[in-house]
Amino acid sequence: MLKTPDWHMLIVWYFFLGGIAGGAYFTAAIADNFGSFRDRAVVRIGYILALLMIGVCGILLILDLGTPSRFLNMIMHFKFWDPMSIGAWMLGVFGLFALVSSVLSLSADEGRSALRRKVSLVGTIFGFFLASYTGVLLSASALPFWSDARLMGALFLASGASTGMAAISLLLYLSGDAAGEGFKKVKRADRFAILFEMAVLVLFLVLLGSAAAPLVSGAMAPLFWGGLVVVGLVVPLLLDVLGARWVPAVIPAVLVLIGGFILRYVVVMTHA
Amino acid sequence: MARTLAMFTDTSLCIGCRACQVACKQWNELPMEAPEWTGSYQNHSHFTDKTYRLVRFIEKPQANGELQWLLMSDVCKHCAQAGCLDACPTGAIYRTEYGTVNINQDVCNGCRYCVSSCPFGVVAFNHDTGRANKCTFCNDRIHNGLGPACAKTCPTDSIQFGFRDELAAKAEKRVAKLKEMGYAGAQLYGVDSNGPLGGLNAFFLLLDKPATYNLPEKPLLPQRNVLVDSVLSVGAALLVGVGAVMAFRERGGKGGGDA
Repeated sequence: MLKTPDWHMLIVWYFFLGGIAGGAYFTAAIADNFGSFRDRAVVRIGYILALLMIGVCGILLILDLGTPSRFLNMIMHFKFWDPMSIGAWMLGVFGLFALVSSVLSLSADEGRSALRRKVSLVGTIFGFFLASYTGVLLSASALPFWSDARLMGALFLASGASTGMAAISLLLYLSGDAAGEGFKKVKRADRFAILFEMAVLVLFLVLLGSAAAPLVSGAMAPLFWGGLVVVGLVVPLLLDVLGARWVPAVIPAVLVLIGGFILRYVVVMTHA
Repeated sequence: MARTLAMFTDTSLCIGCRACQVACKQWNELPMEAPEWTGSYQNHSHFTDKTYRLVRFIEKPQANGELQWLLMSDVCKHCAQAGCLDACPTGAIYRTEYGTVNINQDVCNGCRYCVSSCPFGVVAFNHDTGRANKCTFCNDRIHNGLGPACAKTCPTDSIQFGFRDELAAKAEKRVAKLKEMGYAGAQLYGVDSNGPLGGLNAFFLLLDKPATYNLPEKPLLPQRNVLVDSVLSVGAALLVGVGAVMAFRERGGKGGGDA
C-alpha cells in the first residue's frame, strides 16, 4: 500500500548527470594531485565537464518542480539529516568548487596550479557526495526495493565514478587526445571502477533478496540484464581487458555511459 | 506544546456508511474524482490527493467458505515519528502544537520525496497544484475547538476524537471487552508510544492482524537507513579513490609534477 513519488525522466537524467559530475570532478582532482603534467587534459576536461553537468543538473531539478520559483523553498530551509535537503545545498556548494577549479585549470601559472590542487582536494569530498547522495536519498524511503539493501549510495557512487571517467575518455577521444598518457590512465581507473561496481551490484542484489524481484525478473529484467549488466558492465570490461584492437578505443566508454544511464533508469522507474 | 490530540478508529463499530469519507470531502472542499472499480464496495483503492479518509471494505474468507466483512475507516496516522515530515526538504510538513502532522501548502514545492517516505502510502501528489496533500486532521477545526469532520460525523462513534492519553485508556478498555466477548483477534494498532514510529496519533482497534488490513506489522522510519548507507558510500568512495590514485600515480615516482 506504498506510494511511489512518480519521478520520471528529469530525475533519471539528474541522477545520471549528477553521477558524471561527481565522478568527473574527483577523477580530475586525483589526476591533478597524483598524476603528471601529461594528465593536464584529463584535469581540465574533468573540472569543466563537472561544472557544465552541475549547471544542467540544477536546471533539471528546477524543471521537475513544475513551478521554477518553488526551488527557492528548498534553499530557505536546511535539514542536516535529510538527503534531499543536504543535496540541494551541496549541489550549489559543489558548483562553486567546480567553477573555481575550472577557472584555475585554464591557467598555466604555477602558483594557481598549487591553489587549484588544494581546492580540488576539498572539492573531491563534494564530488563524492553528489555521486552518492542520490542513492542514499532513495535508501531513505519506505519503498523496499530502494531501501532494503542500504547500498544504493555505494552503487550510485561506483557508477558515478565509472561514468565520470568514461565521459572524460569520450571527450579526450573526441578532442583527438586518445593516444595520450591521460587516456590510458583514465581507462585504467575506469577498469577498477567497473570491477568495483560489479562487486557492489552483486552484493546489492544479494542483500535485497526478494525485494529485487521487480528488477531481476520483472518488467525491467531485460533492460537490467541486457542493458546494464551485459552492455554496460561485462562487455566494456572484456573489451578493455582483452585489449581488442578491432574496436575503437572509445567504445567501452560509450557502453559504460549507456549502462550508467540504464542503472538510474531501472532504479527510478522500478516502482515496488 | 499543548496536550496531544488523537483520533481513535474502532473498526469493530464501523458499518461502512462512508459518512466520514463524505464529511471529509465536504469540509475540506475536495473535488470529486472518477470512481474506480476495486472489486468491492471500496472506492478508491487507496488514498489520493483528493481522498483523505477512506473506508476499506476487506473481504476475508473464513473456514466455512463464507466471507467475513472487515470494515475500516483509514486515515493519515499522524505518526509521532513521521517519515514524511523528516523527508520534507522545505519544512512545509510540520508538527502542530497538538502533535498532528500537517502540510503547509504555500511552502510545499512539489518535490514528492514525502510521497515515497510514508510507510503507509498516505501522502499523495496533487498534479493540479503541483503540491503534496494528505489529511490535515482538520487543522482549521481543531484550532477552533471542533473535532475533525470525520469524527464529528461518524454515526456509530467508530471514529472518536480527543486527548491522546484519554483515548488510549478508552481503547485499552474496549479491546479487553471485545476479547472477553470472544473476538480473539481484537488488537490495538499504533496506540503504544514506545512502539513503532513512537506511536500513531490516529490509532486503530482492529479485529484481525494488521496485514489483513494491508497495514505493515512493524512500520519503520525510512530515515533509519541514512547513516548506514552514508557510511557504506564513504567506504565505496575511499575504495574508488584509492583505485584512481593507483591508476594515475607515476610508477616509482612521487606524483605531483608541474601541470
